[in-house]
Amino acid sequence: MNAAAAPRSHRRPVLDPALAPPFPVAALPVLRNPQLRKNVAHAIDVIQAKRTRLVEEKVDWQALRTAAAAIRAHALENLGAYLELFEARCTAAGGQVHWAGDAAEAREIVLDLLRREKASEVIKIKTMTSAEIQLNPFLESAGIAVFETDLAEIILQLGDDEPSHIVVPALHVNRSQVREIFARRMGIENLSDNPQALTAAARNYLREKFLRVPVAVGGANFLIAETGAVAVVESEGNGRMCLTLPQTLITLAGIEKVLPRYQDLEVMLQVLARSATGERMNPYTSLWTGVSAGDGPGRFHVILLDNGRSRILRRKTERQTLRCIRCAACMNACPVYRQTGGHAYGSVYPGPIGAILTPQLMQLRHAQSLPYASTLCGACYEVCPVKINIPEVLVDLRAQVTDQERRRIKRLFDPMYLALRIAALVFSRAWLFHAAQRLARMGLGPFTRKDGWIHALPSAGAEWTETRDLRGLPAQTFHAWWANRRARPPREGR
Amino acid sequence: MNASASSREQILDRVRAATPEGASSAEEALRSWSGLPRNYVCRGSLSAQSRLELMMERLREYDAEISECPPEELPAAIGAQLNRSARRSLVAPAGLPPEWLLPGFKWKIDGGPENGGLEIGEIERADGVLTACFCGVADSGTIVLHHTAAEGRRVLSLLPDWHLCILRASQVVETLPEYFSRARELPSAPALVTWISGPSATADIEMTRIKGVHGPRFLHVVLVRDQDAQASANEDWKENEENGVDRPGTR
Amino acid sequence: MVYYASSWMVLQVLAMRASLFITCYNDTLFPETGRAVVALLERLGVALDFNPQQTCCGQMHANTGFRREAFLLAQRFVRQYQEAEAVVIPSSSCVAMIREQYAPLFEELGDASLRSAFAALLPRVFELSEYLVDELCVEDVGAYFPHRVTYHASCHGLRALALGDRPGRLLARVRGLDLVPLKNLDRCCGFGGTFSVKNGEVSSAMLAEKLRDVMATGAEFCTALDNSCLMHLGGALHRQFAGMKTIHLAEILASTERAPAEACA
Repeated sequence: MNAAAAPRSHRRPVLDPALAPPFPVAALPVLRNPQLRKNVAHAIDVIQAKRTRLVEEKVDWQALRTAAAAIRAHALENLGAYLELFEARCTAAGGQVHWAGDAAEAREIVLDLLRREKASEVIKIKTMTSAEIQLNPFLESAGIAVFETDLAEIILQLGDDEPSHIVVPALHVNRSQVREIFARRMGIENLSDNPQALTAAARNYLREKFLRVPVAVGGANFLIAETGAVAVVESEGNGRMCLTLPQTLITLAGIEKVLPRYQDLEVMLQVLARSATGERMNPYTSLWTGVSAGDGPGRFHVILLDNGRSRILRRKTERQTLRCIRCAACMNACPVYRQTGGHAYGSVYPGPIGAILTPQLMQLRHAQSLPYASTLCGACYEVCPVKINIPEVLVDLRAQVTDQERRRIKRLFDPMYLALRIAALVFSRAWLFHAAQRLARMGLGPFTRKDGWIHALPSAGAEWTETRDLRGLPAQTFHAWWANRRARPPREGR
Repeated sequence: MNASASSREQILDRVRAATPEGASSAEEALRSWSGLPRNYVCRGSLSAQSRLELMMERLREYDAEISECPPEELPAAIGAQLNRSARRSLVAPAGLPPEWLLPGFKWKIDGGPENGGLEIGEIERADGVLTACFCGVADSGTIVLHHTAAEGRRVLSLLPDWHLCILRASQVVETLPEYFSRARELPSAPALVTWISGPSATADIEMTRIKGVHGPRFLHVVLVRDQDAQASANEDWKENEENGVDRPGTR
Repeated sequence: MVYYASSWMVLQVLAMRASLFITCYNDTLFPETGRAVVALLERLGVALDFNPQQTCCGQMHANTGFRREAFLLAQRFVRQYQEAEAVVIPSSSCVAMIREQYAPLFEELGDASLRSAFAALLPRVFELSEYLVDELCVEDVGAYFPHRVTYHASCHGLRALALGDRPGRLLARVRGLDLVPLKNLDRCCGFGGTFSVKNGEVSSAMLAEKLRDVMATGAEFCTALDNSCLMHLGGALHRQFAGMKTIHLAEILASTERAPAEACA
């Protein structure tokens, strides 16, 4: 209630799953902010409409999905062999491969490389993996100036904000908010809120940095095992700048990013752009292999990050999660994300994929509310280009969360937990079920109005009756009607 | 380095333990890779003329400008575009045919034994860049650069604001898989590739598409009608079949 | 297909037999849907039986993470219906539970005999509209419902069961019925079982958006093949004095001139 009344002062969202409030609580600021909800819904409607049109025109869309899912599943099944092949080929091409078991190790490797380069500044390509290991605050605390170069990331960095989407990270910010941030942080007076002018401001702000800063940190959309190449998919050209102008390039990539062969891109590039931005192809895709004499950075490092991924591989159901190619189609299709936006997920990975990925990366020590942040409507699975059955994984994770609960004393005070345990007993015998129905009718009697509807309930029931009525229990259950009917000879019609 | 080395073993051990069904060697894994389902469209079905028209239509959708010419008129076509753009100072990779570098413009050549590489500042200050390309993919209006001597190193087609790209009709394929089957005919997989589908763009502010964030804001393609493209495509196809190139199912 | 049985006894010998699994919440909260299914199927000549020992398919438990409890209920379902000629269920989400989640549950917690019994039973489990269109091969069920109606495709019906145009084909042949298409048909109403309580505010926000589309149809009735969505929509319609009612599709299909749907009373 206080959140609604509070002034619209800026509060940085918490995207550290260890610190973020549970989903139902974290969703409230957005649910109660009509401007934010409008920004999110508008952006999603635009992408969804474009995606739908392009998927419909693609006669082989389902065959492409099948192939993409099979390629990713095969790569994960043989991940050990492919990672070693990638390492060998990348090294042979002049790249240096590093391995990081967790976020802390990855951050240290990056810092160590930057110190060896004597770098005090770094330019960055938008990288989910970097956000996952919270690289920017770490580098900044080590005295290194970090410049994001993706337009959305600049908006967030300068606006002291956090991403709410993995492809369009600033979709919750509208043009007048961008204008305010740029005017204030770039010191531009008379800046218009025209997206063209705002984009031009970002271009000018970055141009000099691209030409000057000697080290770039980026991510990888795909690692090609067969050739040791790395591919980055983007739109603006900031990626190409970062990949070609600096003397040193550091690529952070999750170990799951491997594709077996170069040819696999013929499937992945077709499904990725259509799913992510509703384009037949994104403006720029870059692929490079180690270092090339006279073209691009002279030193290339790739850091292969585990950070919980090898654990996710263990169970077949959960393993699907790692097929993800970060297209964000699931969040664009998700009716829950549509209402809450991304910050509610308390992680750099929002939406349905975040709801399954984050708790697993956290080994279910945090983010236990995320697997419940879904109605299991299946819209995410339907659009996923690599066919991750997200509802199936959600249900599986819910079972793991429930198994945790079973061991906790707290469960005995959780009305939902108790209700489900009692319901399980009640459903185990028909006579118990029928007795419970009678009991419920009596129990709900005092809450049921003359019109036969319940308008207010106490405890967990209030979550329902806050906005909805509940039909009171009818006088006769179906099975009682049936028993009565069998006792009398059947008549025609009814 | 030591820490990373031990992390390497630990990660690989964990991965292998989690995937007991996985292949023990990459060779073995790649053998089972050949059996993956590939029932998507690999080979296009359009006539040569329609394929080129689709390529041009898609490029136009990206706001790229297109002109066409027969091979013998290419220098004149380049000149016409340069004049029309009113750009005088240009960069070009060393591998371009000399007749493309029309007199009357200020050319700076990047690479090659005589010139060496240009300074970044020189490329940045140029009005435009002229390059060849490896392939055009009609289905998505994509230009593919392998950054060979005629296509230039990567920064060359990145920093100037205007990119004039020469695409021969025989380089145009209909589908992305057809590009990959052409790439497979090369002695080795390309080390550097850039797929360009229209000028640099963003939709980060309210999903409004804005052209030209960091890459060239203007892409201009000259399509050279160099041969009967249909005949050439058929030739390629036959050749591949004879060579037993793994060609996934077509529709 | 014979619509009216002159002799119920004769038909029972000739007819297709089916067992009705009414589901726990229909039994408790929506007995009129069950009565309509009985009226409809018997009118179409199906000999229905009803196992009074039935309770719940286990969906709520499975979807909330109570796997062992869900397993016991799933096992109970299979044992109770393994002899049935066909099982008809007027709830798309319960059918989806059986189709999608039973196999993995039995894989993890069941034995071989249960798995094989389930494999044999599964092809004989039908959602109501599937049973009508695919098994009985009827689209015109002889119904009469002179009202303006919009159809809400429950997510499970739409995606898990891929019911496609079956509901539309059935509704199109109801005499007097004026079917108004619903915008954003594939968008969830926000019910999601325990989601509606665990994430009450998000659920309400989703419902509000769905309600705008439903209200925009100007229909008198909103129908679906799942009373859980309808309970959600209906609860909000009632709270807002919207005047629009919810009604299970079975009740529309059962409705005739002589015996109109109970909801019209």
